[in-house]
Amino acid sequence: MKKLHDAHGATGIPDEKGEGHFHTKSDLPVPVGSDLFRADAYGKVTGRERYAADEYPAGLVYAGVVRSPHPHARILAIDTTGALACPGVIAVLTGGDIRGTNRTGLPEMDQPVLADTKVRFTGDPVVLVVAEDRELLRQAMAAVKVTYEPLPAVFDPDPALAKGAPVLHENRKEGNLLFSGVIAKGDADFAFSECAAVREGIFSLPRQEHAYLETETGVAKVDGDGVLEMIVSTQSPFRDSREIAAALGIPPEKVRVIAPYLGGAFGGKDGITVQGHLGLAALHSGGRPVKIWNSREESFVSSTKRHPGRVSLKLGCTKDGTLHALSCRLIFDTGAYAGLGGPVAVYGMGHAAGVYRVAHSRVEGMNVYTNNPPSGAFRGFGIPQVIAALEQVVDMLAESIGMDPLEFRLKNAIRVGDETGLGIRMSNSADIVTCLEKARDHPLWTGRDEWIRQAPDYKRRGVGIATGVLGIGYGPVIPDIASAKLELLTDGRFRIYAGVADMGQGNNSANIHIAGDILCQSPDRFELVQPDTFRCLNSSSSAASRTTYSYGNALILAAGVLKERILDKVAQLHPLFRRENLILVPGAVRHTPDGSDIALHTIAEAMQEADRVATATWTAPVNRQQLAVAPDVKMYGFPHLAYTFTTHLTRVEIDEITGAVAVDAYLAWTDAGRIMNPHVYEQQIQGGVIQGMGYALWEDFRVTEGAVVTKNLSTYILPTSMDVPDILSVPVETYEESGPFGMKGVGEIGIVAALPCIANAVAGAIGSRIYDAPLTPERILTALRRAA
Amino acid sequence: MKIRCIVNGEQTDLETAPDRRVVDLLREDLGLCGTKEACGSGECGACTILVDGESRLSCLMIAAQLEGKEIVTIEGFSKEHLHPIQEAFIVHGAVQCGFCTPGMVLAAADLLKRNPAPDRHEIRRAISGNLCRCTGYQKIVDAIESLARAEEESDE
Amino acid sequence: MSEVALPASLEEVYAIRKREPGAAVLAGGTDLLVRMRADGKKPPVLIGLERIPGLSGIAIQDGVVRIGPMVTHQNLLDSPVIRKHLAVMHEAAQVLGSPPIRHMGTIGGNICTASPAGDLLPALYVLDAEVEISSPAKKRVVPIATFITGPGRTILTGQEILTGIRIPIPDPGYQGFYRKVGQRRALAISIVSMAALLMVSPDKTVRSARFAWGSVGPVVMRFPDVESSFAGRTFGPALLADVGRQYSERIQPISDIRASASYRKMVAAGLPLKILEQ
Repeated sequence: MKKLHDAHGATGIPDEKGEGHFHTKSDLPVPVGSDLFRADAYGKVTGRERYAADEYPAGLVYAGVVRSPHPHARILAIDTTGALACPGVIAVLTGGDIRGTNRTGLPEMDQPVLADTKVRFTGDPVVLVVAEDRELLRQAMAAVKVTYEPLPAVFDPDPALAKGAPVLHENRKEGNLLFSGVIAKGDADFAFSECAAVREGIFSLPRQEHAYLETETGVAKVDGDGVLEMIVSTQSPFRDSREIAAALGIPPEKVRVIAPYLGGAFGGKDGITVQGHLGLAALHSGGRPVKIWNSREESFVSSTKRHPGRVSLKLGCTKDGTLHALSCRLIFDTGAYAGLGGPVAVYGMGHAAGVYRVAHSRVEGMNVYTNNPPSGAFRGFGIPQVIAALEQVVDMLAESIGMDPLEFRLKNAIRVGDETGLGIRMSNSADIVTCLEKARDHPLWTGRDEWIRQAPDYKRRGVGIATGVLGIGYGPVIPDIASAKLELLTDGRFRIYAGVADMGQGNNSANIHIAGDILCQSPDRFELVQPDTFRCLNSSSSAASRTTYSYGNALILAAGVLKERILDKVAQLHPLFRRENLILVPGAVRHTPDGSDIALHTIAEAMQEADRVATATWTAPVNRQQLAVAPDVKMYGFPHLAYTFTTHLTRVEIDEITGAVAVDAYLAWTDAGRIMNPHVYEQQIQGGVIQGMGYALWEDFRVTEGAVVTKNLSTYILPTSMDVPDILSVPVETYEESGPFGMKGVGEIGIVAALPCIANAVAGAIGSRIYDAPLTPERILTALRRAA
Repeated sequence: MKIRCIVNGEQTDLETAPDRRVVDLLREDLGLCGTKEACGSGECGACTILVDGESRLSCLMIAAQLEGKEIVTIEGFSKEHLHPIQEAFIVHGAVQCGFCTPGMVLAAADLLKRNPAPDRHEIRRAISGNLCRCTGYQKIVDAIESLARAEEESDE
Repeated sequence: MSEVALPASLEEVYAIRKREPGAAVLAGGTDLLVRMRADGKKPPVLIGLERIPGLSGIAIQDGVVRIGPMVTHQNLLDSPVIRKHLAVMHEAAQVLGSPPIRHMGTIGGNICTASPAGDLLPALYVLDAEVEISSPAKKRVVPIATFITGPGRTILTGQEILTGIRIPIPDPGYQGFYRKVGQRRALAISIVSMAALLMVSPDKTVRSARFAWGSVGPVVMRFPDVESSFAGRTFGPALLADVGRQYSERIQPISDIRASASYRKMVAAGLPLKILEQ
């Protein structure tokens, strides 16, 4: 039977007409630091690139999940007889059919593939049906009968923590408290009494839906050797394969996961989405390939969201504006299952002092189970929620002592070597100061009063700033390891075995860029194998702004190894050549004294296959500071080592009649180390800012009594092209020692400061602050009318 | 129902349920997976195709409506060489995850046929039916604008 | 599965509907197909109107603009007749949906869907549009305000079908304005919309005014008593603010997932001032 992976071609190959994707039409290498067109752009603009959603193997059948209509209930009985009698039904499966642990989740495995004794959120999967086509599947799913005994439910962290609250996971002695922790420095409580000014605020942050255009999808098949092979839109193919194996009771070496280009993810596909169901279905489909492709409505019900919650933050300073005391309490809603709730809370906590020195601090964080849809990773990972609070209170505090908000920030901003408000020593690259100085000197800031004064009739204007910071990688305990594999092919071209999924951020292109730079080859000489647990090396997930940072470093090592082997081989084949006179040039090795070239394919043909494949592993360095935090806080990710920084500035114009905010201008100054590929760096900043703008102004994923209210894209409002301005991205380059070519991951920093930047501008414009996000026209108009 | 239409320049005979969604027919029967689905309800534009030269949403079209029509999908948008719109998307970095890209390219094609030299505001309006979650739209606007400038330069 | 019929004449449409009372009429599909997906319901037959001659086209006859029901929103935007004589309709079509939706959706569909938020409807109401209904037995013409009876409800019964829209060209002294408020600037269901026709003398005296409001009631709302109170007053911000206040007090909007009733009232109170914004 044709293996699935044969149907899914490798990407990055120049097309059959020989037309390269890169349009350089030359054989020259493109050095890191120069613009290189993305390797995947050609396949994507021609519609040829095959996403997981585009897989339609022969003999395909479809699977779907019957979900709980109750937020909390015991399962009394499941009657599958009606469904089994439906035409075209291949299998109807419950938790009882699962041979493994029937549990997934990281770090805590508390989420069933199919619910066994109870359901914990509206949408919790209960029964898996496999049928010949989508219509027959729908009919069979409708014939499944599940009898529930509804249980009392909780929909907010406070009632969930109250005494006597219904407990979601009955074996937990902490009840509904998934995680709680503290990070403290000095004596914040006392320090507030020493402050000349203190301001505080309680901020409420909404659920945000990733709304990647390609919803959760994949195909799976069990082949003749008993190997479960899966092509799935996932950020974490290697981890997935282990989770699936354990959950379904399959030997891990018999699970193969392939991650093609994802049609977006942003954290929402960092872990199990459809993989457990696909695997289970494939085990019962008689060897036929199974597909799941969630409709948008089902994606809304079943996929994770950004943790909503409340952040209370209090900040105090001395008379001259030096920050002296910080206290922060965050309480997040992790929904029905743990997921990454512990790490998200800790990342949020760990950034509560932002970019500032503060003498004393106390940060308390909690993540709480509720009968709401599960929360999960989303670009920024807890940090946008906390920075939203911090950067607004900073503005409030600056105003209370009559200090310019930008000068206030500059005064307290950390430099390399400083200790942050949470005691983290900034040992690595950090240039928030230049970001702030450039903002301070920019005409949009210096001319702001005049611009505000010129507001037309029925409009109010505001100008806001905010800073952001984000630690990249996994923190000091969880290993961040990437292993690169690079092959010299017998035709003289190269093949990179990607270890980290590319969800659109361009890390595949970065790989080609890096390898091409080191090996002195044009990008057209590279092909790329998408992450495949059978062919590539585990390099952990596409997350935490570490994709190019980690895999890129590993690839530099592997390319170095391969380069040495190639040159060694030439020296061996040509004993008269001195090794030190050999260099790589496009397509060949050159003996510099006489300019003679030996074609790469000639060298390749002379090499053993094992020698043509170079592998290397790189482990990210960690912050070795011994800070007094509990082991779980440290483990979940505190502190980080390399941080990215940003200052944002925005001008907004508010319509006094409708409350709508028009973002007139937006600038972002960013320190993400060295820039490898200028336009790709901009892509990440522009995209992150607009996604942050959505979080600030439009995106409110509403759940009432556990049920999703905003059911589709007509009611969950994403900004269109007409709603957002151009973003000016100004890089502030530093050199990060630990990063490949001095870079730091730039994937997340763009989203971190957008909400407070806009909120600060709005507060200035309307003269009062709105503490609930998003800042919808209704909230703004209500505030305006109240003030009037 | 038997349906005869032209798909990407080729006479095509189809036999399918008359109420079959065109997006399904294109992807599943004709193997033209360049046309994507991201919402199924007309809210995102990922399923955009050209019908008799005009951009339409294939998730809101049914097979019977194809009779006698000329359809162009992203696969048929360029033949031997990339269309200038596609080149501009590559060159200006307008592609990230790429799932919105085919719809965006065809929306751009529709725009430039109606208005060969649009300004940025007109471009934003023309792609306002196509959601993008990755780019923030800016480089897509840059790419399309570069073609408007090229058009203006060619007139001079 | 739904059968699909693409009849070539109205007679065929009547015959199918007689045979199959549950048949649904399909124009552009941008409302019907979305609703079918949301409800999970498939009518036994879909009747596509695209092959019936005489249902498209925009023409002027005796000071009345006749628009075929299958005219798309893009057709309306491209029409010099609409732009010149019924500018408020042109403005309404501009803010409807998105470009591909405007290529597909039709004026007949917008009217028969009869959503309280239908974008063309306030313009049609303010223009005193009439619709032509045809059945095997007869044709009749009714004002649009009679045609639509409630959210999603029209007076169409039996085999009746909408076959034309007639709009008398307003006195050239009128200026038309259309203002829509949605949650974003495109692909937005209207939260409050307002179509206005104003006739103002050079000395700024209002001679005549009409306002039609969408999304603030079960159907588009006009208040003739408020309209007649305009006459003789001086056009300007004070008048518009007063007008807004009056309308805000009269409307009884609902709260729904997009907006609360109080927000709608707040917006309505100020929306006439947006006439001053060009």
